[in-house]
Amino acid sequence: MSHVELVETPLDPTSLEASIAGPDCGAVLVFVGRVRNHHAGRSVERLTYSAYRPLALQAMQRIVDDLESAAEGPLRATIVHRLGDVEAGAASVIIAVASAHRAAAYDASREALERLKREVPIWKREHYADGEAVWREEERLVAPDDAGAS
Amino acid sequence: MRIRVLGFASVQDVFGEEEVTLELEEGATTAALEKALIAQYPMLADTWPRLAIAVDGALVPGDQQTLLSDGCEVALLPPVSGG
Repeated sequence: MSHVELVETPLDPTSLEASIAGPDCGAVLVFVGRVRNHHAGRSVERLTYSAYRPLALQAMQRIVDDLESAAEGPLRATIVHRLGDVEAGAASVIIAVASAHRAAAYDASREALERLKREVPIWKREHYADGEAVWREEERLVAPDDAGAS
Repeated sequence: MRIRVLGFASVQDVFGEEEVTLELEEGATTAALEKALIAQYPMLADTWPRLAIAVDGALVPGDQQTLLSDGCEVALLPPVSGG
């Protein structure tokens, strides 16, 4: 079953793979995003993720719905993002995709992550080893019908 | 009208809390909201052009013409960094 979720507990790629797999799909791809212990030359200890939950879930669901409806054969996609403190090395997001053949799975997996990073109101705060913490601000959200956006 | 404003990421840091409440005239738009918020939180002035705005859970265009209503929830969303 496809689904999207925001959680505050450690992520489990194995159970997500099992939940999306099925005999109709010959390809199951699981992307695990983990917290990197460095950014721009600085040592990172952990990230803190926060979200505008109702809009984040809606945006994640729209990504999954779009991928499924655009696919020619069977395609299921699940996105689970962790919120709160995530230590360096721990998983912060999992995107699991199942499709009949591998090409669609590779494409959908990549597109889901790229769209997540552009369309979903989730923010990460980087906590550096020297004690400083900075909110990363990367992709400006655009309303679907905003003609004035860049 | 009473407007609830949710701040996220750096905006939350400016507010010092997750949510602030604003009183605006009937018929106020997001332009009036901007003016009132920047008057109260001058540090928002530099950030404002980068913010996306949602009203009652839906993103609104950046033309600042969106009408607000009593009790509505506005969310100020800095550029995102999920994943």
